[in-house]
Amino acid sequence: MLATHLPRLILGALLGGFLALIYGWLIRPVEYVDTTPDALRIDFRTDYVLMVAESFSADQELDLAQFRLAALGPLAPDEYATDAIDYALEQSFSRTDLEHLNQLAIALRALPQPGEIQAP
Amino acid sequence: MSRSGWFPFLIGIGLGLAGGLYYAWIISPVEYTDTAPDSLRAEFRADYLALIASAYAGTDDLVRARARLALFSDLEPRTELAALAQQRLAGGFGEVEAAALARLAAALANQPRSPVSTPTGGPATTSTPIPSPLPSSTPRPTPTAGAPFTLASQEQVCNPLLSAPLIQVEVSDAAESGVPGIEIIVVWDTGEDHFFTGLKPELGQGYADFTMTEGVSYTLRLADSGQLVTDLSTHPCEQADGTPYLGSWLIQFHQTP
Repeated sequence: MLATHLPRLILGALLGGFLALIYGWLIRPVEYVDTTPDALRIDFRTDYVLMVAESFSADQELDLAQFRLAALGPLAPDEYATDAIDYALEQSFSRTDLEHLNQLAIALRALPQPGEIQAP
Repeated sequence: MSRSGWFPFLIGIGLGLAGGLYYAWIISPVEYTDTAPDSLRAEFRADYLALIASAYAGTDDLVRARARLALFSDLEPRTELAALAQQRLAGGFGEVEAAALARLAAALANQPRSPVSTPTGGPATTSTPIPSPLPSSTPRPTPTAGAPFTLASQEQVCNPLLSAPLIQVEVSDAAESGVPGIEIIVVWDTGEDHFFTGLKPELGQGYADFTMTEGVSYTLRLADSGQLVTDLSTHPCEQADGTPYLGSWLIQFHQTP
């Protein structure tokens, strides 16, 4: 009985899988909407960090800069600044941009790290 | 096929669909990576716009701010930024951010209206921006996720055969083939233009150009890229007989594998 119907079952399963892929890839493909900043591509993420750095250069609000960088994910804020500097160097960003990023990174690294005990 | 013969076939289709969806939704669900700011959720979009305004407050670089705002296809910056400033003020986000938004909105309002997009017809022709009423938001292609195009080179070009100073752009993929249909945004202090690669196939599928005006500084970006190419302006060149003329720029973007 099973041997009789197995080929049809497999054929149907293959067709079903094929239809699911057609539906998922062609009829209703993934649309990138309602995403969050942590999913930004590296060039956009670098520009995001650069904007934070440019803003920080004017207002010196390090708390606000940290808050904004936290939107990029769970890493420490200075790591995002470091990643941005790496990408900016790789892509030959202007000297002014690099200075902004560097100032932000220095300010973030000067903050007490989690678990670090400050001297009284 | 008899009725009893169809039954296992239909069961198979059902199993296949269920298996495909289980794989797509449970085993390997969609992960949102490599997205563009245009796809951000509403509250993050508002944060992003506020950040653009705050960065503008730090640099006073309106051209750069406008290039960043151009990432949002359906954005009406002047009104949306002003409205966002009011919302931020009312929402207790701090006066500094609201002031930055209001300042950027005001700076944009003081700008001349955006020109109509005028793709150039060839290297020897000129693209003169024509002042026009602000265009309403126009549907544009959804940003494509994938490897970004990065700046491969940026060099000044002295070519006396060009009758006007150009920003020449070449976009190639990982296989070094020219990529047509790539939208390029060029912004200057009083205007903005969008043009596309591939409109002059005789110069390459990935080629596009834009005619510069002397004394104007341009910022350029690919519509689907976060990287800005700044400070593009004409530069002095000399022909063999000493006759001066204005030089061009060649900007090459390459898709990282």
